[in-house]
Amino acid sequence: MKKYLCLGCGFSYDEARGLPEHGIAPGTRWVEIPDDWVCPDCGTPKAGFEMVEIPYWSEARPA
Amino acid sequence: MSVRFILRAGDRGYSYLPSTGLNASYVAGHPDGVITRHSSFNFHEYQSGIPGLGVMKVFGDETFTPGGTGYNMHPHHNFIIMAFVLGGTLTHINTIAKVDELREDDYYVFAAGSGGKHSELNIGEQDLHVIYVWMLPGQLLAPLSYRRNRFDRAAGANRITCLVGDEQGALPIGQTVKVSRLLSDADRTHVYRAAKANGIYTFVVEGDVEIAEAILTRRDSLALEGEDKIEIKVRTAGTDILVVETKL
Repeated sequence: MKKYLCLGCGFSYDEARGLPEHGIAPGTRWVEIPDDWVCPDCGTPKAGFEMVEIPYWSEARPA
Repeated sequence: MSVRFILRAGDRGYSYLPSTGLNASYVAGHPDGVITRHSSFNFHEYQSGIPGLGVMKVFGDETFTPGGTGYNMHPHHNFIIMAFVLGGTLTHINTIAKVDELREDDYYVFAAGSGGKHSELNIGEQDLHVIYVWMLPGQLLAPLSYRRNRFDRAAGANRITCLVGDEQGALPIGQTVKVSRLLSDADRTHVYRAAKANGIYTFVVEGDVEIAEAILTRRDSLALEGEDKIEIKVRTAGTDILVVETKL
C-alpha cells in the first residue's frame, strides 16, 4: 500500500485509507483511480501527484 | 564533488498571473494586480524543468504588485512552506488565526501538516519581493504550525547564517534540511560545510559569486552533491545568497 502527495498543494492519498468521503474505498490502488481524477483540494491532475515514503506523524508518536 | 545542475536566471519557469480572468479566484487584488513567479523547479505549468532537489520541491522567486495582490485563502496539507521577504511588505493570514506582517529580512515557516489554509497579500504601496520554498515534511499530517523569524543584517554580515534548521537562532523543521543566507562584501571567500550525503542548492539573490568553478550572477543557481566543504568566492559588494542543504 502506497501513499501519493499532490505537488500542487500537499494533499495526500493513501491506498490503505482511500478517500471514502470522495467515493474511493479503502484499499483502492492508485492505478485503479481514473486518469482524469483531480486533487479534491486544488484540482491538480492525477499526474501531478508523486509517490512518497513518509510515515504519519501519529505513527511516530509514542503510544 | 559533482555539479548536479546550473540553472541560469532566464532558464527558470515563468508565470505571469494577473488577478483577472482565469486566475480571478486564485489571485487577489486590484484588477491591475499581477504576480510574477520565476520557478527554479517543476511547478504547475512549468513541468519540463528540474524536479526539485531532495525534499525541496518549490523555489519560487515572486513579485506581487501593490493593491492587495497575492494569493487568496487556499488549502494545503503536509508541505512545509517558507517565505523569505526580500523587499516590500507581506501580509500572511492563516487558519491558526495568525495575521502577520513581514518585511525585508523577515521569514516564516508554515507547516501545513494535517491541513490548513493561508493567504499571502501585498497590501503595501511598494512591490513585494519574496522567495517561497516548499519542502516535503519528515512526517505526514503533523499538527499545523507557523513560526517567524528575522535575518539580522548587522550580525549576519560576512558570515553564513542558518535561518532554518537545527541550529541556535534558526527555525527547526524536524529533518535534515537547512536554509542559510550570506550577505557579503566583495573579494571574500566563505566556506559552507555540509554533510557529504546531502545536496546543496545555492541561489544568488544579488551580486555574483564563483562556486565550483562556475560564475553565478543575479538569480542564477547551482546544485552540488557529494561535497562537505563548498567555497563561495564573492566577487561584488552586497552579494546576497541563499543556500539550501537537503538530504537526497
